[in-house]
Amino acid sequence: MSMKIPESIRELPGAFFLRNAIIVSAVAGVFLLINTQLEPTYSFYLAQAAMYATAMFGMVILVGLSGQVSLGNGALMAVGAYTFAITSMNWQTVPILGLPWNAVWSVVTAGLVGVIAGLLIGGLGARLSGPYLAGLTLGIAVGLPSIIYRFPSFLGGEDGFALRVPFPPGGYAAQDGGEVSAADAAAEEMSNEGFEDFLAEAGGDSSEILEFDQEELATGETPLVEDEVLEFDQDELSLEQESTPDLVQDVDGESPPAEISESEDSFVDLVDESAGVIDLTGFVIEQWQASLAVVMAAIVGFIALNLIRGNQGRIWKAVRDDPVAASLVGLSPQSNKVSAFVISGFFAALAGAVMAQIFAYVGPALFGLTLSLSLLVGVILGGRSSLVGAMVGAAFIVVLPKAMETFAQQLGWEDRVADNLPNLVYGLLVVLVVLVLPAGLVGSLMVAIRRRTQR
Amino acid sequence: MLRIENLSVSYGAIQALNDVSLEVPPGRVTAVIGANGAGKSTLMRTLAGLEKPQSGQVIFNGEVISGRKPEDIVRMGIALVPEGRSTISELSVEDNLKLGGMWRSHAQRNASLTRVYSLFPILKERHHMGADTLSGGERQQLAIGRALMTGPQLLLLDEPSLGLAPLIVTQILELVALMARDSGLAVLLVEQNATVALRIARTGVVLNLGEVAGSGTSAELLASEELRHIYLGTGS
Amino acid sequence: MTFFDHLLGGIASGSVIALMAIALVLVWRSTRVVNFAQVGQAMFTTFLALAVYRGTGNWLISLIAAILAGAILGLIVHFLVMRPVRRQDGSGAIIATFGVLIALQASASMIWGVDPQAYPPIVDIIGFEAFGRTWPFSRYDVLVLGVTVLLVLLLSVVFTRTSLGLRMRASAFNPTVARLSGVRVSQMLALGWALAGSIGAIAGVLIAPTFSVTPYSFDILLILAFTVAVIGGLDSLVGAVAFGIGTGLVLSLVSGYSDSGNASIVALVLLALNLLLKPEGVFAHHHSRSV
Ligand SMILES: Nc1ncnc2c1ncn2[C@@H]1O[C@H](COP(=O)(O)OP(=O)(O)OP(=O)(O)O)[C@@H](O)[C@H]1O
Ligand SMILES: [Mg+2]
Repeated sequence: MSMKIPESIRELPGAFFLRNAIIVSAVAGVFLLINTQLEPTYSFYLAQAAMYATAMFGMVILVGLSGQVSLGNGALMAVGAYTFAITSMNWQTVPILGLPWNAVWSVVTAGLVGVIAGLLIGGLGARLSGPYLAGLTLGIAVGLPSIIYRFPSFLGGEDGFALRVPFPPGGYAAQDGGEVSAADAAAEEMSNEGFEDFLAEAGGDSSEILEFDQEELATGETPLVEDEVLEFDQDELSLEQESTPDLVQDVDGESPPAEISESEDSFVDLVDESAGVIDLTGFVIEQWQASLAVVMAAIVGFIALNLIRGNQGRIWKAVRDDPVAASLVGLSPQSNKVSAFVISGFFAALAGAVMAQIFAYVGPALFGLTLSLSLLVGVILGGRSSLVGAMVGAAFIVVLPKAMETFAQQLGWEDRVADNLPNLVYGLLVVLVVLVLPAGLVGSLMVAIRRRTQR
Repeated sequence: MLRIENLSVSYGAIQALNDVSLEVPPGRVTAVIGANGAGKSTLMRTLAGLEKPQSGQVIFNGEVISGRKPEDIVRMGIALVPEGRSTISELSVEDNLKLGGMWRSHAQRNASLTRVYSLFPILKERHHMGADTLSGGERQQLAIGRALMTGPQLLLLDEPSLGLAPLIVTQILELVALMARDSGLAVLLVEQNATVALRIARTGVVLNLGEVAGSGTSAELLASEELRHIYLGTGS
Repeated sequence: MTFFDHLLGGIASGSVIALMAIALVLVWRSTRVVNFAQVGQAMFTTFLALAVYRGTGNWLISLIAAILAGAILGLIVHFLVMRPVRRQDGSGAIIATFGVLIALQASASMIWGVDPQAYPPIVDIIGFEAFGRTWPFSRYDVLVLGVTVLLVLLLSVVFTRTSLGLRMRASAFNPTVARLSGVRVSQMLALGWALAGSIGAIAGVLIAPTFSVTPYSFDILLILAFTVAVIGGLDSLVGAVAFGIGTGLVLSLVSGYSDSGNASIVALVLLALNLLLKPEGVFAHHHSRSV
């Protein structure tokens, strides 16, 4: 028996918000509960999935509802991550508005700067349709690392910043004590050996492409005809690989060029090794990170749910489906496209702030084209217009690489093959989903269920 | 020459043609008349292969052509001049014409080009100019010329008079009638303006709401109650 | 280095950007799709050509292999992905091209690894000596420029002077009228994809000796080619060539006077400025598109 709710009460905005709040808290509550029972490694996966989901909620609004294909959301995450990093480093001791919640203020600032960045990109993009917008945002994604290199002192240049994240009460375990937290250790590791090297390499790649400086070429600094140079390179590199066999694990679900993924893997491995460091409150660090990420995802999810199910969701869809008709009834296509960008910029920046905290590091290598592509892949796989789809997509891009790795290990495949298997699967899946299930996995499932129940 | 048997065509839920049967004889003009949305354009597009029939078939010179691709149907000798400005404005006048019937021999195409230029001298005058510089009437001539370049046995004309001055309409239609008489060309002519169409055509078909509401000689149709009904909006 | 030297140094890179932009334009003209996988296809065929070169030791054979592979890859993408996707909304097609890009980059990483590889140039890449100094212009630059000019001339002749070109143009501008005229439009579209794949492949092989080849190192070329194609109006071969070489010159100047890391930022600024200042130029089709 369904309860009969009077029309007048059902229409109250309060009831609408309340219902959404209940849905979101229930989902978040389940994840928080699960988190207390998880091994640290799995908590860390949960943290990452929640972080991706936070950014993907914005993609659902931008790509799904408003129909704008953007590859700029990785850059918007970078904006949030860097804002968080810089402010939290500089606001360690100054209470703001009498409140000493410095990290909270940093997160809020990150979100606000994300809004401004979204406004900028959205404003540029609002007049553009389909491929033009995709191309512009693609340019932003590819150009972003070079922009970061321009500001070595302010943005940390190629090395980025290692962070001491002051979030849990008392800080992450033993910041002043003997033990070093996994996150700190990882950050140290990343900013010391190895990381710099490959960054220099990766940076060199992109910046050297258009360098046609003949003098340099003449001196043989750039790889030339000689096969010897090449063989030497390969030897050196394979040596490197042998000396660090444990670095080639793929865990993080991102799909960067392998050098980058290696370093992030090494980070995760370190987390695995030092797992179990206990915080003052009795939580393991990874569990703290996961709770933090889940709470942020819940806040953002609540906002997204209200927007999508509310009036604004219908307006975005109307503008997407028929901009001319929408403008005839007084809806401005441009401002509604910009607003979708602003919202997704806000969400992406908050996700970026979370990212900075769970990796305890920000650097250009985290925010390449690959990150934006991952966000797009996740949203398409899960379902362009569905928040649940975004969650499934986020889980997918964290779990798939791990599953593939196990799979490849069982078959005894080479690392080179195993490392790139997830990306191959992503690419093929995206094409397949677009062709066969344009509404994504979750979206298509819901359509199927609706059909069945209607019969 | 062309036989349409129990043809039905639908766009999703919209039934645009329902069980239409009719015959088009060679060497003369057959008119198709009917109100807006009667299904006239749908009939023409289906004959040319742009729409796939739901059921029924179209037989041309003893061969079933329904369901074939437009580029194959035009090779068999059916050329459609679609509704509206069906010229390619990015190409020159001559390129628009040359596009028609590229599979034919050089000699055949040259002969067709000479004929089109003699029928529509203005096209010869403007042959190197962009098709977008032509007036509406000139563009319609170009569209018909492009269709003639394919060497058709059956010419499908969908509202060639749309947006043209009455004088030009008469000119074009009279030319069409002349071609039908002189070269054995069969013409299926869609027109809103029944009086004009039936003056040119020997026989006609009335479509209403996707069905054949009547057919006969032009004189019969002009006198018919049926036609009056449909045009007065009181029909069936 | 003088201003003139920097200009000279930008011609070859500009030519390659122009070729890549031409590939984008050809696909856009045939199917109204911006193929974001185009540069991925070029990367893949460049690796294939490198393998052929290592096997045969013959540069010309490796180039021919790239051209063939480019055409085949273009056809595969067209028939397997883009043709089936065409009935969906515009985002579907865009996203599918990115799916193809990701898959191609992953496959290349699997097969050839992500370590930078050197692609040998066929002729001297060291600048000419004249008037007692070395000029930033080599035999290789002459080759790149020559191939580009030749290709552009060839394409213009094919498009404007042959019946095949007329059929391709008509199919691009108005597929329905083309089909009604008897043109096999689907063949023309496939031909457009194959041609674009081959031209992209040539661009890949030509640029490869001047930087280290990895599955990801072509990304920047994608941005540059896209920028150029869009500024040129996406429909115009002449525009692609002019703006491509122009962009090469600008980038060379920027790299010369600041440093090469700024190249992608410059491209981004150019693109944003263009999209901002003349979005109507991007969409409008007023200009002549005869070539
Ligand atoms: N592409 C389409 N999709 C859906 N419905 C269509 C489509 N084309 C035509 N219709 C519908 O099919 C019916 C017949 O249309 P058709 O164009 O054949 O009419 P018509 O007789 O040519 O009218 P007019 O005299 O206005 O040109 C109409 O109800 C129309 O709305
Ligand atoms: Mg009509």
